Amino acid sequence: MADHSSHPLDTLPFDAVATAGHYGVAGTLGVTARRIDGLSIATLAARKGDDDALAEAVRGALGLELPRASRAVFAGARTLIGTAPGRWLALSGLDRDIAGTLRAALGPLAAITDQSDAVVTLDLTGPKVADTLAKGALIDLDPRVFLPGMAATTVLAHIGITLWRREEATWRLLVARSFEAALLRFLVSSAAEYGFELDDRG
Amino acid sequence: MRIPCPYCGERDAHEFSYLGDATLTRPDPAAPDAPDRFFDYVYLRDNPAGAHQEWWYHAYGCRQWVKVERNTLTHAIAGARLARDARDAAGDAAGNVPGDAP
Amino acid sequence: MSRLAKGGLIDRARSLAFTFDGRSYGGHAGDTLASALLANDVRLVGRSFKYHRPRGIVSAGAEEPNALVELRAGARREPNTRATVAELFDGLEAQSQNRWPSLDLDLLSVNQLLSPFLGAGFYYKTFMWPAAFWEKVYEPIIRRAAGLGRMAEAADPDPYEKASTFCDVLVIGAGPAGLMAALAAGRAGARVILADEDFLAGGRLNAETREIDGKPAAEWAARVTAELASLPNVRLMTRTTVFGVYDSGTYGALERVADHLPVPPPFQPRQRLWRIHARRAVLAAGATERPIVFGGNDRPGVMLAGAVRTYVNRFAVAPGHRVAVFANNDDAWRGALEIKAAGIEVAAIVDVRKAVAASLVQQAKAKGIRTLLDGRVTATHGKRLTAVDIVADGRTERLAVDTLAVSGGWSPNVHLTCHHGGKPAWDEAIAAFVPGIVPPLLAVAGAASGAFSLGAALTDGAAQGAEAAEALGFPVPLPDVPAVAEESVAITPFWHVADSRGPAFVDLQNDVTAKDITIAYKEGFRSVEHLKRYTTLGMATDQGRTSNVTGLAIMASLTGASIPETGTTIFRPPYTPVSLGALGGHHRGKDFRAVRLTPTHEWAKARGAVFIETGAWLRAQYFPRPGETDWLESVNREVKAVRASVGLIDVSTFGKIDLQGPDVGTLLDRLYINTFSTLAIGKARYGVMLREDGLVMDDGTTARLGAEHYVMTTTTANAAKVYQHLEFCLQVLWPQLDVSIASVSEQWAQIALAGPRARDVLARVVDAGVDVSNDGLPFMGAIEGTVLGGVKARLFRLSFSGELGFEIAVPARHGAALAQALMSAGEAFGITPYGIEALGVMRIEKGHVSGNELSGQTTARDLGFGRMASTKKDYIGRVMAGRPGLVDPQRPTFVGFKPVDPSQRLRAGAHFLKIGAAASLENDEGYMTSVAHSPHLGHWIGLGLLQRGPERIGERVRAYDPVRGGDIEVEICAPGFIDPEGERLRG
Repeated sequence: MADHSSHPLDTLPFDAVATAGHYGVAGTLGVTARRIDGLSIATLAARKGDDDALAEAVRGALGLELPRASRAVFAGARTLIGTAPGRWLALSGLDRDIAGTLRAALGPLAAITDQSDAVVTLDLTGPKVADTLAKGALIDLDPRVFLPGMAATTVLAHIGITLWRREEATWRLLVARSFEAALLRFLVSSAAEYGFELDDRG
Repeated sequence: MRIPCPYCGERDAHEFSYLGDATLTRPDPAAPDAPDRFFDYVYLRDNPAGAHQEWWYHAYGCRQWVKVERNTLTHAIAGARLARDARDAAGDAAGNVPGDAP
Repeated sequence: MSRLAKGGLIDRARSLAFTFDGRSYGGHAGDTLASALLANDVRLVGRSFKYHRPRGIVSAGAEEPNALVELRAGARREPNTRATVAELFDGLEAQSQNRWPSLDLDLLSVNQLLSPFLGAGFYYKTFMWPAAFWEKVYEPIIRRAAGLGRMAEAADPDPYEKASTFCDVLVIGAGPAGLMAALAAGRAGARVILADEDFLAGGRLNAETREIDGKPAAEWAARVTAELASLPNVRLMTRTTVFGVYDSGTYGALERVADHLPVPPPFQPRQRLWRIHARRAVLAAGATERPIVFGGNDRPGVMLAGAVRTYVNRFAVAPGHRVAVFANNDDAWRGALEIKAAGIEVAAIVDVRKAVAASLVQQAKAKGIRTLLDGRVTATHGKRLTAVDIVADGRTERLAVDTLAVSGGWSPNVHLTCHHGGKPAWDEAIAAFVPGIVPPLLAVAGAASGAFSLGAALTDGAAQGAEAAEALGFPVPLPDVPAVAEESVAITPFWHVADSRGPAFVDLQNDVTAKDITIAYKEGFRSVEHLKRYTTLGMATDQGRTSNVTGLAIMASLTGASIPETGTTIFRPPYTPVSLGALGGHHRGKDFRAVRLTPTHEWAKARGAVFIETGAWLRAQYFPRPGETDWLESVNREVKAVRASVGLIDVSTFGKIDLQGPDVGTLLDRLYINTFSTLAIGKARYGVMLREDGLVMDDGTTARLGAEHYVMTTTTANAAKVYQHLEFCLQVLWPQLDVSIASVSEQWAQIALAGPRARDVLARVVDAGVDVSNDGLPFMGAIEGTVLGGVKARLFRLSFSGELGFEIAVPARHGAALAQALMSAGEAFGITPYGIEALGVMRIEKGHVSGNELSGQTTARDLGFGRMASTKKDYIGRVMAGRPGLVDPQRPTFVGFKPVDPSQRLRAGAHFLKIGAAASLENDEGYMTSVAHSPHLGHWIGLGLLQRGPERIGERVRAYDPVRGGDIEVEICAPGFIDPEGERLRG
């Protein structure tokens, strides 16, 4: 009886970030993960004081409305994600230093912290994204429920992530840099049955 | 168990870490009986069979401290509020400020 | 061959080959291993647990107590698999269990002769003396003689998975009630999951020859199943057992993805553990038939009546060629008629009742079946059943049959209703336990609720499915309930033929007899919990599916109490066994938990680092060089290199927390025992924080980068805990403080550079204009600047090693580049990368506390920080740290140690005793917390906690380590073994 001794995790070093390539079932593509480099990322925390003034200043600086819930809002290459009451993540493919931009624009209204290097950003596409994430997440990611624009800070296979659905077919995920290898192992393992492509062209 | 985080929505208890009784107030450290009151605050706990107010920290979500009303017999959760909102609702200034002490 | 010429739900076009005990057989797709064995006339399938009695197949489902086999071979061998639920596949290998040397000739069946001694409580009575014999003699013998299958001896090669899913309505069981419930909720638009443990939906509809809407019931089931499968909002999960009901509408389920295949398809798991979150659930788990207990009732050929019916109708297998039915209820009569209709001879129906519905008696007689009322079976004959003795109308008769189909009635499958602590309730009308208080938002439908007739199951299922959907806002008209003929379900409780001959088994899997229950009764073990533990009734892997109620009834008859007065056993998860592989899922081996890699991991790997797990982190332990054969040799070299010139280590794993706002200083003053509000901008300070109970929580360095901007460092181990503590202070204790915090542990790679040449190296990597001289960056200085040509950096003048030291933080992506640049810059000085072993040696040489001392049991005073504590402010833990027990001068206090004989090795964990004092708890004076071999001093050194330690410098004590046989004299010394004045780090 033919055995398969070719589980992708068997040959993937557990202490190395998976290299680009195709994993699992050949000839199909259930999930593609693309590493997004070059984003400038910062956390933004409202200081005690005038929330309306902060919202107004953010609107002026980024052209975005501060989401009051766990949602993602987009304008061009800029994204704001609600992560907690009075806390947001700002991502930009446009500003070289989003933290600096925000600091200049918001002054004492908010505490800004550069996190561009703290996280690794992955775009997930393909028909099996929700099924793959369901193997590690404990929230309802049914595409009929977790609609574009929705965001969640949660766990995936015991690893903390922030996840949002950018558009119908694209999910974006942030994971702490130190967990990148472990998270990719989970994705490789979980998406292998659907065919998984890891693309690190950025 | 699922906990209704006021910010994140219903989440699995695995995302939280548990502290315990949320009805306690940190005593005034300048009070003459501060040692006794701190002893109670740190160690003495009721063990109610039924409704219990307790602190849960949403470590893997919004990192907010959430005051959860949980029935210790059934694990049914009657409600959950963020620490800040729970305080506003209670109208108290619990959490003594050492600097404010005379 | 006993395969019927026609009928059944097997695919006769697909033949499958399999082996049992090495012999080859054939079956068909749609068979279970049990049905295929019966089709091949294999009646003897195992030996019993205790007495090694020959046993055959009893049931056709999950309740099977006898037919446990080892499935597959090698690393995939799985013991105790129920042949009745193992789906047949081509190439299946199965072995019988618990027999030696062979199934037919089992020498250990000699145990039967010992049965007078092996009865209830025999473990407690027989092996009392001498105690030492238990481990060496009794247990090995018992383990050999009584037992189940053998585990695989190699790691399971197949992957397992876990997954979550969410639905509006979960329907458990796809029999008539479950199908109708799913149909009602599914047509209404609710997200529905319909789960069934079987590989074929339909439940009893596949086992009986009923008609629904004028068509065979199995056809109706297939049509409804197809409709459900076509609905996008319905997920049909066959081969999936819902095994547990947990809090908040969470259900555990096991999907056997590939148990019906030789090996899982590429990249698929063998099994998948589901966490199903359902807003409502309908339990339609059906019912389990129970036997009647009589002498010789374990003989192969004695089966449950419903099982015989199932093998005939669903699998087109004749379990025997001449069948007698022994029952106390109407359903068994319909079974007899169906068996007869399949062309199998039914010799007689023996019913314990004096009166049975005339229509049933007429139908049986019309088919030529003898009916014996007020009858009972008193004995059985043959190794495999050849005859039964029957008493009816006061006459005894021997009836030649090869199969006896027994039915004592049906027990609703209430298991899942008990998982929140609810107890089932006794329903006299059906002589069975029905659901009592059920978990919230779960409804029970069909036979599981005690509604045994097919019509009732269909109606009830539709109603419960519709109600669940409607309660969630899916308005739904009740679906049309299809037409079925009404049937009678009359039963008269009957449990045990008291005047039968031979051992009468109640629990077939654990070999518990009616006589064992009598012994338990006589010896006073009468409560149901005592009965269970004394006799082991219901404690086997089948959890007493077919034996609990009968055992309870027999005890009730002995005590004269009713069954509900006697009690019931509570069912707990899991409903059927769940493999550990499925519970682990992805998280096994190296994936047991997610590993964290430092920014310089690949760089260190390329330099041959040996790594060690510290919490979730993987850190370089040491960097062996060619020719070094011992870790200590490498560590000694690294330490010497740092002390002599310069070395570097990645310290990115420390927790780093950014604090901003006007009140940061106030917050820090309340967190640390010392003062931070007065810290100058551009300076760092070592701080100790306590828990509110007065014991040390963590330590670390916090630097002030601006008027309202600090960055805190925590230990690697406590990073998350300290962050959580800060959030508690800011959200719960003092929300009025205007402070924002953010973890920057992942943002910054941080590299420590230490040694007399550290500044020379650092000067070569900072950009022009960054002054790292003793004036520009004095001891405990903290400045921001750029390195490597424009990379922003934070520079700290800190030292853990005791040498001139710096920590350089850069955005994490530049961490490896910084390490490489430092290596190049330090080449001329022989710069040496070192690991956490060398770091540990140097901190012990320097006398710094670390994790071993921050044990959660030490106060600041214990660790020598008493004078650091401010008396001018309050801080967390201050009040409680003043408790008498924590300021007792007798408390063990931090101090250093060296061996009196320098050749002797110190061991952490050794306890201190006065010289000459006996090794007793009262004489214990403290213990050694950390030790290292100091290459600087050339001998072992230690740190520890000793009563009045600092007052006893120069005194000798005994370091006693009975665990590892250590007992040496050590001299007490100050904790700093190197540069106690701190000249090196200020240089």
